[in-house]
Amino acid sequence: MGRPTQRAEPVLHNRLAVLRTERGLSRQDLADALGVNYQTIGYLERGEYNPSLDLALRAAEYFGLPVEAIFSRRPFTPMSEQLYAGPGRSETAAH
Amino acid sequence: MQQAQARRWDSWIDRLPRRVRRVIAVISLTGLPGMYAWSAFWLTTSVPKIIWGPVTFLLIGATLAGSLILYRFVRDRADTRANLDERQRQLRDRAMVLCYQVLSTLLILAVVGVGIPTLFLGRVVTLDATVVGAIALSATVLIPLLPAAALAWIEPDPPPEV
Repeated sequence: MGRPTQRAEPVLHNRLAVLRTERGLSRQDLADALGVNYQTIGYLERGEYNPSLDLALRAAEYFGLPVEAIFSRRPFTPMSEQLYAGPGRSETAAH
Repeated sequence: MQQAQARRWDSWIDRLPRRVRRVIAVISLTGLPGMYAWSAFWLTTSVPKIIWGPVTFLLIGATLAGSLILYRFVRDRADTRANLDERQRQLRDRAMVLCYQVLSTLLILAVVGVGIPTLFLGRVVTLDATVVGAIALSATVLIPLLPAAALAWIEPDPPPEV
């Protein structure tokens, strides 16, 4: 079972808000899909609740992404930076 | 019209900040015992009855109104048979642990409070019908309220609607 984030505990970073917005979903839609309360989605997005492995896997399955693409122990690099910064910028941007 | 009004109340209660909920929990849990303490104090003073009445009703009203708000905020989330998600289940379990800690602390304090004067100071502690009645009524009202108060105490502020 997951644990509410305490100050002493490491924060589990996630991309839930970005993925949800990208797919045009409301918190309620995502909550219904994952079988949780809509407020739980808000707490997850704010990093105030660390999900259980089961819930993390359900989210990964729902978004069709590997679990590490949604949850990480280290902060995520912003997607825009990943797409448009760095040496492969022109090639990536061209596609 | 009435439904819309009820929804507004529910929404207001659902979005109560934790600080406010904690104040309501403390007021609810102390109102009734406070009323008994106030009455006991009043008997030993010359405060007129016209002051005793309103203060007494204010203290009872605090427990009553606070309880209604807490029960409305928590709904069935303190119930062990409720259909909750993993975060809500975990909060409920933490609330139950908090209840156990509060009750065991009160019990230990009561045992020490009675035990020390009896065992070490040789005093006789008498419990008359008024005291037993006050303890019984407070326990009957407040112990069932404790899980709701504990849950309202620990539940973090709801995330803003986006």
